[in-house]
Amino acid sequence: MTQLLLFNVTNGLIIGAFYVLMALGLSLIINLSGVINFAHGGFLVIGGYLAYALTPALGFWGALLVAPLLTAVIGLVVERLLIRRLYGRDPLYSLLLTFGLAFMIEDGTRFIWGAQGLPVTVPDFLNQPLSASLFFITGYRLFMVAVVAVAVAALFLLLRYTRVGIRIRAGTLDLETVSTLGVNVGRLRSLNFAAGIFLAGLSGVLAGGQLGLDPTMGAGLLMPSFIAIIVGGVGSLPGTLVGGLLIGVAAGVTAVFFPSASDAVMYVLMAVVLLLRPRGLMGEEGLMT
Amino acid sequence: MNLLEVRGVSKQFGSLVAVRNVSLSVPAGQLRAIIGPNGAGKTTFFNMISGAVQPSSGSVQFDGRDVTQVPPWRRVTLGMARTFQITEIFPELSVAENLRIAVETASGMRLRPWISRRATTAVTRHVEEMLAQTGLMSKAGRLVGELAHGDQRVAEIAMALALRPRLLLLDEPTAGMGEQETFEITQLIRRLHRERELTIVLIEHDMRVVFHLADRIAVLDQGALIGEGTPEEIAADAAVQSAYLGQVAEAGAA
Amino acid sequence: MNAGGRTNRLVLAAIWVVLLAAPFWLNLVGGYTALGSRVLVLGLAAMSLNFLLGFTGVLSFGHAAWFGLGAYGAGLALKFVALSTPLAMLLGTLTGGIAGALLGALIVHRRGIYFAMVTIAFGQVFYYIAYRWNSLTGGDDGLRGFSRQPLAFGPMRVDILNNSTLFYYFVLVCFAVAVGIMALLLRSPFGRTMLAIRENERRARFLGIPIELHIWIAFALSCVFISFSGTLYALLNNFADPNNLYYSLSGDLVIMAVMGGMRVFWGPLLGAAVFVVLQDYVSSLTTNWMSFIGLLFVLVVLFFPRGLLGMLRQRRVA
Repeated sequence: MTQLLLFNVTNGLIIGAFYVLMALGLSLIINLSGVINFAHGGFLVIGGYLAYALTPALGFWGALLVAPLLTAVIGLVVERLLIRRLYGRDPLYSLLLTFGLAFMIEDGTRFIWGAQGLPVTVPDFLNQPLSASLFFITGYRLFMVAVVAVAVAALFLLLRYTRVGIRIRAGTLDLETVSTLGVNVGRLRSLNFAAGIFLAGLSGVLAGGQLGLDPTMGAGLLMPSFIAIIVGGVGSLPGTLVGGLLIGVAAGVTAVFFPSASDAVMYVLMAVVLLLRPRGLMGEEGLMT
Repeated sequence: MNLLEVRGVSKQFGSLVAVRNVSLSVPAGQLRAIIGPNGAGKTTFFNMISGAVQPSSGSVQFDGRDVTQVPPWRRVTLGMARTFQITEIFPELSVAENLRIAVETASGMRLRPWISRRATTAVTRHVEEMLAQTGLMSKAGRLVGELAHGDQRVAEIAMALALRPRLLLLDEPTAGMGEQETFEITQLIRRLHRERELTIVLIEHDMRVVFHLADRIAVLDQGALIGEGTPEEIAADAAVQSAYLGQVAEAGAA
Repeated sequence: MNAGGRTNRLVLAAIWVVLLAAPFWLNLVGGYTALGSRVLVLGLAAMSLNFLLGFTGVLSFGHAAWFGLGAYGAGLALKFVALSTPLAMLLGTLTGGIAGALLGALIVHRRGIYFAMVTIAFGQVFYYIAYRWNSLTGGDDGLRGFSRQPLAFGPMRVDILNNSTLFYYFVLVCFAVAVGIMALLLRSPFGRTMLAIRENERRARFLGIPIELHIWIAFALSCVFISFSGTLYALLNNFADPNNLYYSLSGDLVIMAVMGGMRVFWGPLLGAAVFVVLQDYVSSLTTNWMSFIGLLFVLVVLFFPRGLLGMLRQRRVA
């Protein structure tokens, strides 16, 4: 029983770390640009398939680095060409546009790589379990969590200590003032969008190594990311972090006792949070409400 | 008895004290002006009266009733109507429709899923009365968003009037207006005050308007009340002179 | 003013003539009657959503949930409760309407992006339930084993089950009733408060309108209407499946409303017609129809944000 519980809690944490990576990217974009990027799952898929395509040439490690960067570049192009036109308009429009993009990406991936799942080859030593008693913790899973931790830490450090990061945070609170201070808001938003998409691409590579690739994987991960953001509080990145881990663990623990309800538990969690603390665990009143 | 009684309200935003312990009594029928330099806390004070902002401490009483905890929409039903510094209207609806919504809400019809012919006639009559009083009759069918700025301000006042308020709160009614428009709106406010004996509290920057209209003036500076009296008293007050009128005089000279 | 009124009446008459005659002209242009019923049902769904979206200015992106609940409610009622079409419609509408009203109460204080996200996420709850609760809902395979029942008016029976033209007229009558109620509501004092909230929430509040209450009522009404259309969808297909509740249907409904014109009462019906016909046509040509639908979303947002009828109306004003 303890073994099972431990297994599922660890599992939950790993899944949660994953939601966090995905949700942080979404959250970045929502906070600064007011765009709910429905295509975020699509960019995750792009990241994963790019890694698949690049692995033969660059190896796993090269792909891990290059695929997210390429995804971010694609994201940048999409932002400049399409999403930029919708800033300041009703959020309805960016929602619909990214919704359409998500369709096109999913279908495009299927067209290029086929509907069947594809594996991302992971170096052998990462696939070893840690020990016989902890058979469920493979090196790859630890590695995933480590990468997520590094990425999250880097993101928070960048936001805290670099000039661009500080501007992004300031823009989240009061974009008008930031623009009157002479900051190029358009460029800031592009950069911020690309950063968010980089995280999506990274999630895609990591997910591909664990679960294999298929064109619909992004759509499946999108909803938990939404919930992570809502539970944590729209507008708060630390909230998103907490929210993602929380729903991951909650799903893991529930899987022990009520396996069939493990998907539903995050929705229950969201309902409870909205009832007791409508602005989310770490959301501030007045922001994005 | 005073229609509006504000007792020692303060408002803090984080570490910034926007309004500090301000009291104000306005008897029924009075036209009270609130003046003060930019950033003096006038609008925050105003928002606490209308309920848009909750005071950190102190109380607001309207017609003998403590309304400090009463939500803004209910204050309106008690007889408080307001306009905003930046015009707040329903831009893609016609002038008449803007007023119609105000009249129907004030008559307690807002939840009705249908309306009788007779009620429609009564509402229409009231709307036309407001249009006539504010001189907007010829523009009744136009979309408010397409009107000139001055007419939009008047339309907003007309909406507030359509609520049949006992207290009218006007936040810089002449903001952004030209000479002629300022003159007309001043005449309108004066007429409402005289003919209907409407109690009015207004914030205003234009000193000619203030001294022309106000029965009494309250002066705010850096969130605190620094003077209160008749226009003559205020004009003679040294503290007010240095805090505000001096600035205006300098600005005028420059 | 008067001329405008007459034009409106003419347009209205034209719409009803087209709808009434649909079974006769659809075949001539290569369509089929069931396609017409589908347009009506999804058009009603999009109009119900637009009641909230276009006329109250509240962005709900999870309306498929209430649509699907209506469909499942009606299907389950026919399968397990009684073989009665009207009863199934009543129960289905209640299911979606009540669930929507309850959720609405939880979220009316949220606005804009937040509201959209919460509605999307909560909408998925019902998808998962339908997907997982195999024994009741049939899970991924969908709910089968029910069919719409002929209507009985005393001794007279109207066989809407086997006669697709009769069923079309049955849907048209339901559509007319629902749309008529919507139109009346929008012209009522309550309807005008909805417009007020859409136009300027702050002004509305300071006219003495309790915004949250009014948004909640509008939300609940919108859920009732769309559940009603959902029950018709189950009757049309004699089938309900989890995709009726999935968020991509919510997106489809929003794009129908936007494409036709959110600010125009009949806009979403036109949007639904274009969307349904296009989907029907493209999916018969290529397996990559998803890309085309996605492209349609992008093009509508970039080039027709006011919708087909919205642009037409603007041109008339100008």
